[in-house]
Amino acid sequence: MDDATRALIDRITTDTAPVRPLRKGRGLALAGLAFMVTLVAVLFVLGARHGLMTGQFSVYFLVVNGLLLVLGLSCVTTVVAMASPQVGAGHEGPKWAIAMVGVLPAAAVLSATAPDGVGLMHVEGVHCMYLGLAASVLIAAALFVWLRRGAPVSQRLAGFYLGVGAGALGSVANGMACPNDTIAHLGIWHVAPVVIGALVGRYGIARWLRW
Amino acid sequence: MTGDEATMARLMRAAQAGDRQAYAVLLDQAAKWLRRYFRKRIALEKLDDLVQEVLLSVHAKRSTYDPARPFYPWLAAIARYRWVDQLRVEYRTQTQELLEDTASEESGEEPVMARVSLERLFDHLPPAQAEAIELVKIEGCSVAEASERTGQSPSLVKVNIHRGIRKLAAIIEKAS
Repeated sequence: MDDATRALIDRITTDTAPVRPLRKGRGLALAGLAFMVTLVAVLFVLGARHGLMTGQFSVYFLVVNGLLLVLGLSCVTTVVAMASPQVGAGHEGPKWAIAMVGVLPAAAVLSATAPDGVGLMHVEGVHCMYLGLAASVLIAAALFVWLRRGAPVSQRLAGFYLGVGAGALGSVANGMACPNDTIAHLGIWHVAPVVIGALVGRYGIARWLRW
Repeated sequence: MTGDEATMARLMRAAQAGDRQAYAVLLDQAAKWLRRYFRKRIALEKLDDLVQEVLLSVHAKRSTYDPARPFYPWLAAIARYRWVDQLRVEYRTQTQELLEDTASEESGEEPVMARVSLERLFDHLPPAQAEAIELVKIEGCSVAEASERTGQSPSLVKVNIHRGIRKLAAIIEKAS
């Protein structure tokens, strides 16, 4: 071994301080806490949608929010794992959940453009998208902090999953207040925060994950 | 011979707990392993710098090692990350004979080492991209020389290097 490397090792080891290993459980707890705080804030500020507690909602409400919740959990779990690098880690899980959620906009377009459809563009839809995005900010921040503490080696993928996961969970939180149950609304405007989150994560946040 | 998987994992756990002696042994063994790991995939004069960069990264990010998981795949992920970073840096060196990569032969952990080796990473690149990176970024040829040797146009060599490094960055954690 060369002298410079030997000297470096000596220098590094002189300031050895104990460190707490980055446990996945703590990352998941942090993201879970961010989601719960967001959910409570949405219910407090916007109020729970009619029928939320009594089960009076359409099957579309259940399907769309259920799929978004699965997508969000899948991405959050993967992002938390990506903070600890490991050759052999696949990070393939969220891909299938993304594909499943991808069906929703297609169903929405078909429904909205049918002869008795309601059309795609309406002001409440855009409003809902903004609320979904706002609700995803805290979750995205929690995941970002976790990744910054860690050592993600695939930053683009980590940023992408961060955006998708935060967008999906933010949309679920907003969905608890949104009274519109149609697939035309849910499939477009509740999925839009996921798409925007993915783009922001992949092309914006990813560069801040370098270390 | 470098430390086996179980020994390195035990040393790393001790290092995370603040055991200076264990940490020194671990870094010493890691440095030896890294030298062999990189030897065939980096110009010889860049080898020590790269090993030192990885050791600094290991130190800075030592909390990211999960004690429940194997050590070498964690070290290899950091090593690959720094290696791809190094490939991004433009440099031209005098061609030097590169020594044989013996990391997987001497460690006594062949299956693990084969899975984490840099060769496996290169296997995922199209041959034209791998060849362009090999010639320009590792052997230190100019783009014109690489173009002549591969039959690719100079602009295609540049495109292949750019795309190849982007792909390498995306598959750092891929095992096989």
